[in-house]
This record gives sequence, structure tokens and C-alpha cells, in this order.
Amino acid sequence: MTLTTDCVSCADELAAGATFCESCGRRLAEPPPEEKTVEPADPKRKNCSRCGAESSVGDDGYCEECGMLAGRSRDHLEADGGAAGAAVSDRGRRHRRNEDAMWLAVGTNAADVVVSDGVSASFDPDAASDIAVRAAGELLACARHPDAPPPVAGDPDETVPLEDLERPPGAVGLAAAAAHAITGAAAAVASLAHTGDPRRAAANPACTIVAAAVRGPHVGYGWVGDSRIYWLGPDGPAEQLTEDDSWATHVIAMGADPVAAMNDPKAHAITAWLGADAGPVRPRVRSFTASEAGHLVLCSDGLWNYLPDPAEFGAVVRESLRATNSLLGAARALVAYANAAGGGDNITVALIPVPAAEAKPATDFDKTIPLDTTDA
Amino acid sequence: MSYTAEAFQNEYLALGASEVNAIVTVTSSGGEGGRRSGGATEIIIVDASGSMQAEGRIGAARQAAKAAVECIDDGVRFAIIAGVSTAQQLFPAPGELAVASPQTRAAAAQAIDRLQANGGTAMGAWLLLAAQLFASRPGDIKHAILLTDGDNGERHGYLDSVLDQIKEQFVCDCRGVGASWKVAELRKIADRMLGTVDIVAKPMELTTSFQQMITAAMGKTAADVQLKVWTPVNSTVRFVKQVEPQVVDLTGKRVEDGPRAGRYPLGSWGQESRDYHLCIDVPAGSAGDEMLAARVHIMEGDTEHARCLVRAVWTDDSALSTRINRQVAHYTGQAELADAIQAGLAAREAGDDRTATIKFGRAAQLAHASGNKATEDLLAKVVEIEDAVTGTVRLKRKVAAEDEMALDTRSTKTVRVGRGQ
Repeated sequence: MTLTTDCVSCADELAAGATFCESCGRRLAEPPPEEKTVEPADPKRKNCSRCGAESSVGDDGYCEECGMLAGRSRDHLEADGGAAGAAVSDRGRRHRRNEDAMWLAVGTNAADVVVSDGVSASFDPDAASDIAVRAAGELLACARHPDAPPPVAGDPDETVPLEDLERPPGAVGLAAAAAHAITGAAAAVASLAHTGDPRRAAANPACTIVAAAVRGPHVGYGWVGDSRIYWLGPDGPAEQLTEDDSWATHVIAMGADPVAAMNDPKAHAITAWLGADAGPVRPRVRSFTASEAGHLVLCSDGLWNYLPDPAEFGAVVRESLRATNSLLGAARALVAYANAAGGGDNITVALIPVPAAEAKPATDFDKTIPLDTTDA
Repeated sequence: MSYTAEAFQNEYLALGASEVNAIVTVTSSGGEGGRRSGGATEIIIVDASGSMQAEGRIGAARQAAKAAVECIDDGVRFAIIAGVSTAQQLFPAPGELAVASPQTRAAAAQAIDRLQANGGTAMGAWLLLAAQLFASRPGDIKHAILLTDGDNGERHGYLDSVLDQIKEQFVCDCRGVGASWKVAELRKIADRMLGTVDIVAKPMELTTSFQQMITAAMGKTAADVQLKVWTPVNSTVRFVKQVEPQVVDLTGKRVEDGPRAGRYPLGSWGQESRDYHLCIDVPAGSAGDEMLAARVHIMEGDTEHARCLVRAVWTDDSALSTRINRQVAHYTGQAELADAIQAGLAAREAGDDRTATIKFGRAAQLAHASGNKATEDLLAKVVEIEDAVTGTVRLKRKVAAEDEMALDTRSTKTVRVGRGQ
């Protein structure tokens, strides 16, 4: 038996016979207050990236502490096709969500790529761009390599070309595939106006689209709106392969002063788009066969707005490819470039290398395989 | 009962902005087949003070009370209190509640015929007795009617202390007959008891008024509905107001409910729809940030019936942030209309004709612009409206006290904004 004891609550040493602890004032007969068991953090709940609170993100996506939206899955997307292609899409710095969407599928000597930019003035433009790239991407997968041997006889899914009909030479068939893909995407986007939120009927979801099918050195592409494709050869400025369906492009073609037209507030208003109110969509399609190796660069206006000069555009893309030594790294660097310049819009960029036609004919004409888009 | 809650707002805020406004429309489908899930209790309090003898008021009050009893559904518990210097239970036996049936309604009518006007006015005591009777029926939908024709005669502060004690325990609709009662007094009771206040200028109109109140009360199918509002850390609720069918400020009625959340009482509900204006101060975000400024739940006890979200999205696109939400603008105007009328009446009473003219002018302008015809008509009885568009008015030299009181009690009545225009 000891003459002194310790307070169970605060561990202060007590005088013999004391009834109350001198230090914390608790009555000694009482058991110490039960430590409030801290609710184990719900492992399924995410931590808030804004205020740092743990497991605070509720079912509706907002932090239970600071109320901030905990980020959407589309805020930053990457697709890595190794040496065959890469694409990155980013929310940017000014917009609250990413209304751009992208599709990348690669095979041996083949790639399908689609970029779409939702029209902000419409309702749910993110749904429009999302369905557009999926519809177009799946249709592009059917594009055949112009140099591929005719399909094996007996395949019930294949048609047999009539003897007298010649297949279109080179890449022309790929342009038809791009047209088919964009037309399919247009129908898919138009169908959105009558599904989901009733407000979609009043301001139907709309988007731009640019799609390309690459088979060896052959490229077929098409577009509606102001998302662009550039061709970047071994040297020299980048070559813009598309012509924007925009007010500025239209009036410049009519003879207006290019500088004045580009500075007009209406410059970026698009004159063609995908959506229920777009009327019959007539995608513009083209094709070519690369005579020297280069890169296709597909991008939304979130990138090209900051690089209007083709020479500067080419220089920045080349520098990104050189500095990062990978297509994905270069695509990331281009997104970072646009964000550093202000990030005023959503940014999507895709890079696809195209070999020169002199290259040894490919031996394997596998169909393309869609890549999983990763949420980074 | 099924409820829906829908938020109307412009969620886009300019950079640096920190005030979030939203109109939340709460709609209830009413009970299954319009039936109450629990019981209901109705208490009618009739002023029987000496002044009720004037203009045949007591006779009209007797008739109105009997008509009201006829409107009470079978099975609903009820009682009648005669209001004199004390509270006397007229029907049934003191401390008891009758169950409505043809027999009890007939017995109540006989008791009402014995009601005599001789005594004082003691609203605190009347309400206290009603509260004691209601207390035997926990879970019931509780509704009372208070009819008076004069000032409260109790010692100063007594009514307030009673109201502090019984606030929100039952819904009390207050009616003043004649022009010698105080609007402020009945409004205070109605406000604390989540009821309405109105003037019945002529005794002969009492029967219709009572029938309307009882019919509305019989249509209630949920007793105690609450609005629960969650706000993020560092945010504060500046106000929560009911804005339709009439303006009622609920801000001060908040009861804390867990971290960062509070409840506001909405009273009893039937098949109906009401609008609420929430204003929340949040810390300003940066461009592209999206914040949940409030999560609004419609609660009955621990049961959540509906919820909606009030959001804030900061943008440097002024085309988005300057867009004015129709609902928010409309009800902000309706609240200003009520304030302008109150200020105009106060200025007129104080003899400040200049301020009164300015306030009534603004009120006429707001009532006209928002299509609130009822309020515009009431205003026209107090001022000459020369041009409602510019708000040009002249004070009338002679105004009937009843007209001024009608404008006062009904100034908070709002009209609903036309949706989808």
C-alpha cells in the first residue's frame, strides 16, 4: 500500500487522503472520462484535396468540411499508346469542368484518334463531346489499311469486291471512313437532346469534332467546328490541315482583313457543329499519304489559341518532343504550355507519329484496339 | 407524404463575390389520399371581452365558431376557449378534449350559444390554456384560431414570456375583428406560432374567415416539418425566409443540428408548395472553383423527405456571373415590397409624410412591376397611385383604419413568379 496515488485523469501525483485532484479538479472516486472513440475514417471516402480534411468527400462529390467540389474524373485524362500515339485532356485553369473529350486507339502501324470540344453555350456540352468521341472512335476502327490484302474469302462479315471495281488508291478510303465516323458521331450527339435533363431540349448539347484514321503512311481525317489537325514534318512550320468552321475563317475567306477578323469578338463563333440543332452535318474530309515521316497533332482551341502562328506551333511541339523523349511526355508538356499561358479553356492534345511511305510495307494489319483512358 | 425540393439560382459568381442566393421551392403531395397519418387537434379561442358586444361582434363570433365546428372532421379532437380576463374552457369539460362527431358538434354549438361578452382581454392566459390542452396530444397536428377585437390587457411582458414558453408547439392563426386591435400584437403571436394574421373588418365576414381557416387546417397531413441547412466551414447563413405564399423571416428560429447544420421550423404541411429564399456568405473562391454552399434537407423528425443543393461556381466570365436569376430577383422584390409598406405605415404614423410618400411610392412600383395586384389594390386604398410605373403616389388625407390595417397585415403576401417565362 502506498500513501500517494496518481490521478487517473491527469496522472498528477496526489496527497494521501485527497478527494479531488489538485491539478485537474476531478473527483477521485469517479472513473476517468471515456475517451471518445474517433469514428474510423471511412476508407471508401476520399480526402479533400482543397482543405486536406481526411475522408471528407461525401457521396455527392463535395467536401463535408469546406464544401469544395473534390474534382471530377474528367479534369485530367491521359491515354498512352507508347510509340504509336498519346493524348492528354485537361480542364485548364479557368473552366470549372472539362468539356473536351478524346479517343485514342492504336494497333500495329495503325491509330484512330478523335478530339471533341463541347460548346459551352449549350446544356451538358461535356456529354456531347463524350458521346461524339466514343461513336466516332468505334466507327473509325473499321477503317481498312489501303495496302492490306483483300479479306480472306469465306468471312461472312466481309463483302467481296466486284472484279471490275477498283479499290480507291492510297488513303482515299480512309477519308470515307472519317466521314462515316463523324456522321455517326453527329447522330449520337443529336440524340442527346431528348434524353436526360429536360433543359437539354432547350439548349441541346453540342460539340466540335476532329477525327483521323492513320494506317501506315496513309492518313484520312475530317472535322466539324474549330478543333484542328496539324502536320508536323521533319522541319519547317507546322501545317494546319483543317480549316476552322468559324466566323473569322469565313470572313477571311470572303476577303476580310485577317488581323481585324481574328480580333473581332465573334472570331471564335463556330459556323458548324454537332448537335440536334446543327441540321444535316457535312463533315469536311481529306486524306494524304506521308512522303516523309512526321507527326499528326490534333488539338482543341485550348491549345492553338496560345499558338496561332504555325511556325511557333511547330517549334513548341518539336521542343516538347525533344525535351521529353516520349509522346505522352510531349502531350503533357503541350498541356502545361497552355496552362502556363493562362489555361483559359479546356485543353486537349493528341500526338500520332506517321511513317514515310518509303518505309517497308507493314506485315501485320491488325485491327486497332481502344486504349483505356486513365484518370491521372 | 412525398416532398420535392428544387433550388433556383445563378450559381456563377464573379471573382471575389461571396454572397450566394437561392430560392428553394418545396412541394408536398400531401398524405396518401389526402389522409392524415396521425391525429389532429383543433382549438378555437374566442375573445369574449366586453367590447365584443359592439357592432354585434359577439353574435357574429358565435355564428363563426359554430360554422367552424361544423367544418371539423370526424375523429379530430377539439375544444373551445372563451377568452375573458382568464381563460375559460367553454367546451368540453375543463381540461378535456372532445372527439368530433355529430353529437359532440351539436353539444359544442349549444355551449357556444351560452357565450357572453363580459370581461377583459388576456391573450397570454388563453394561449397558455390552449398549450396545456394540446400537450395531452403529442404527435398530433395542432392548430388553433385566436379571435380578438382589442388590445391585450395583461401586464407588460407577460404575453412575451408565454410565447417564449410555447413557441412553435402549435400553429396559431390570429384574426382581429374591427379596427381597435393592434396588428403588431397579433403579428407577434402569429410569427412565434408559425401562423397567419389578418383583419376581419366586418363581423359578418367572420364565418367565411373561420371556415377557410378550419378547412385549411383539416388539409394538413404532417405536423412538424423542418428545413435543415448544412453549410461548409467558414460560411454563415445570412438569412432564411419563407417568401411564398407570404414573407416570414425564419433566420432567428434556427436550432443547431450537428456540425455546420441547423434546422428551421416550417410548421404543418398538407398538399402545397412554398418558396424559401436562402442567402449564404461563403469564403470567395478562385476562377473555376465549385463549392457546395448549402445542402438543404426537408425533414420530419429523423426522416429526410427531400434534398437539394445550393452551389457556387466562380468565374471570370461576366456574361455568366451577371445573369440574374428570375426567382431570386422576384422574391427579393417581394420582400422589399413588404418592407416598403411597413416603413411607409410607420412613417405615416410618426407624421413623416415625406418618407411615407417615398416608401409607398416604391411599394406601388414594386407591386405593379411584379404583378402583385392584391397588394396594389390595398395600397390604392391608402394612397392615390398617380403612376405605378414611376412610383408616383400622393397620401390620402382620410384613410379608414380598417384599410390601413388590412394593408399592414397583408403586406407580406406575395405572388409566385411565373416559371419558365
